[in-house]
Amino acid sequence: MTSHRLGPEDGASSSRRAGARTTKAEFLARVRGEMAKTPGLFVAAPAERPAQPRQRLELLRRELSERWPQTLERFRAEFERVAGVFHRVPTAADVPAALERICRERGARRVVSWPSEELGVALAPVLSAAGIAVESMPRAVPPDAERLRIRAAVAEADVGVTGADLAVAETGTLVLVAAAGRPRSTSLLPPCHVAIFDRTVLVESLEQVGLALEAWHEGPAPPERGAVINFITGPSRTADIELTLTRGVHGPKEIHALFVDGGLGLHG
Amino acid sequence: MTEPLITTPLRERAAQALGDRFLHEALDIATTRFIALRRDAFGDFPEGEALRDRARAIKEATLQRLDAHLETLVANIERLGGHVHFATTAEEAREIVLDIARRTGARMAVKSKSMATEEIHLNDALQAIGVTPVETDLGEYIIQLAHERPSHIIAPAIHKTKGQVAELFSRELRRPGLPADPEVLTKIAREELREKFLTADLGITGANFAVADTGTVVLVTNEGNGRMVTSLPRVHVAVMGVEKVIPSMTDLAVFLAILAKSATGQKLSVYTTLVQGPRRPGELEGPDEFHLVLLDNGRVAQLAGPLRESLYCLRCGACLNVCPVYRQIGGHAYGYTYPGPIGILLTAMLNGPASVRDLSHASSLCGACADACPVRIDIPRMLIELRREVNVRGIAPRSERIVFKALARLLRSPTLYRLAARIGRAAQRPFVSDGRIRALPSFFGEWTKTRDLPSIAARTFQERWRDLS
Ligand code: SF4
Repeated sequence: MTSHRLGPEDGASSSRRAGARTTKAEFLARVRGEMAKTPGLFVAAPAERPAQPRQRLELLRRELSERWPQTLERFRAEFERVAGVFHRVPTAADVPAALERICRERGARRVVSWPSEELGVALAPVLSAAGIAVESMPRAVPPDAERLRIRAAVAEADVGVTGADLAVAETGTLVLVAAAGRPRSTSLLPPCHVAIFDRTVLVESLEQVGLALEAWHEGPAPPERGAVINFITGPSRTADIELTLTRGVHGPKEIHALFVDGGLGLHG
Repeated sequence: MTEPLITTPLRERAAQALGDRFLHEALDIATTRFIALRRDAFGDFPEGEALRDRARAIKEATLQRLDAHLETLVANIERLGGHVHFATTAEEAREIVLDIARRTGARMAVKSKSMATEEIHLNDALQAIGVTPVETDLGEYIIQLAHERPSHIIAPAIHKTKGQVAELFSRELRRPGLPADPEVLTKIAREELREKFLTADLGITGANFAVADTGTVVLVTNEGNGRMVTSLPRVHVAVMGVEKVIPSMTDLAVFLAILAKSATGQKLSVYTTLVQGPRRPGELEGPDEFHLVLLDNGRVAQLAGPLRESLYCLRCGACLNVCPVYRQIGGHAYGYTYPGPIGILLTAMLNGPASVRDLSHASSLCGACADACPVRIDIPRMLIELRREVNVRGIAPRSERIVFKALARLLRSPTLYRLAARIGRAAQRPFVSDGRIRALPSFFGEWTKTRDLPSIAARTFQERWRDLS
């Protein structure tokens, strides 16, 4: 090694006028200038990205549909390993009763949920009859005052009910893509989160998640897509006080996965 | 701007740490636990080794075309309605964030754990313009209430007992008589911070990765504070070192598969949050403004420099846990934002080699760090390079340089060497006990303050060899 360029005194930093802001052009020019000092220094090639990811994802889904029971079994095992609670019901019609039971066991009186069009199942009739209030999230954005009221309601709720866009067997992870009618806070603010899903969202590995992410970003985003994608792997946790594992520090203390054998009729 | 040079010498800071019995025990328990968790996680994961190679190759390849990837990232974030700022120095990065805070009339900023904002000492600067910064990672929150600094990059408050935390919360949060029970204390923190999340105007985060192709900033947390901070306040600012950019979502999947395993032994952290600009038109929640501050602060100069490889670092903390020096003295003794073996290199990168004059020796060069590192950074090689650099630049203590120079001449000449051995044998007599030299006079004392020397043997190997033949 011949160069002795260590540390900021060799950089452009010291010569900058006070108060002047670095522009994009200056910043990138400096990056380029430094890189030019050692042409061919790096030998690695970038990672291979899948060509036509949408098509490949479709293919993968078809393959996966043939072995979903194994995938589900592995998801269940991993989900339980990260302290998730797994439930399984035969048909969509059984979902409200299963939810009612979850609520009853916890003494939950207030539920917030994604609207029935997003879940593929209507919860309100059964839950209301059991004396549990259900607030469905709006699919169109209401005025600011109403948005604030909804946020407060979500923060006060006992249970939040969502769907899921992927369920990852390798890690027991649920992937939720925010969108119109699929807000972020439903799975975050209430102390208990229940995600309802079926076999169509099961994938085996993080690598397959990578493919799904590529596919979702091929071409322009659909207009209803939100700005956040969340991977959720178990309940919120911390070990910051004497390494004692404690759940529910900011996010939910409990997470439930509710699998519907007969399907939800959402994803085609 | 660089970090203020530490005035207490490393020797004293280390001695202090070594004398703190609880710190010692806590460090031992924490690092031992992290090592075991990491070992088990990779033990169950045969693909792990190949993925580490891939991850390293991705970092290398990305830095090779860093300008192009940054350009793509910027274009995509702007397409999504976000703003990108360019900070050459820490000071510039601070000014950028302060401007955003002033312009949006922010009063309170909630922060999720971020080494980059610690590196630029953002909290003090926010405070100075009347914006209250609130750390929301539980460990960081404890540290902030106690006016201390983090001791581990993954577990910032491992040096505190639950009793100390109970006392701290009772006093600072005016909730007298709290029990020393992590469950109760965590619940209190949840309540206190929940209110802050819902009222803060500004959310400030770092970034674990940024995916150029899709304009995505990726945050990994276990507590969920990263999600709160990026969804509830009106404005979200992410501060990120330029080296965190990766090309594609395919690459992201590779890194996610090894990051948490290396840090805490989890297959994935609880929350991985992919942020793509501000709230979209149809969305109920999310910030109205999204800003990304790209930080140089000494990094770009190393793109072709001797510390280049430290730019691969994922900040997982694995090299801290396995480091025999870190395990003895803990994060505080290093004195800068980034502790541990990689911390020495990052400190040299950010603050110049003079800042690590002593620190560059705070490693036994045993190589455990390089073995543990998910992207196989050759930390020992760079530490040796750094020591050499410190020496060449004349940053090392004068006495040490004179002695080493003399030693070099001596070792090159057999006659001089034999003569010196004979003189040394006579001269050392007053200082030897049990075959060790524990304290030397005058400027040689610097050396023996922290090290014992073996005494010069009564007869050299050469002399004994002569007798045998
Ligand atoms: S140097 Fe490697 S092991 Fe150490 S924190 Fe960085 S990525 Fe982790």
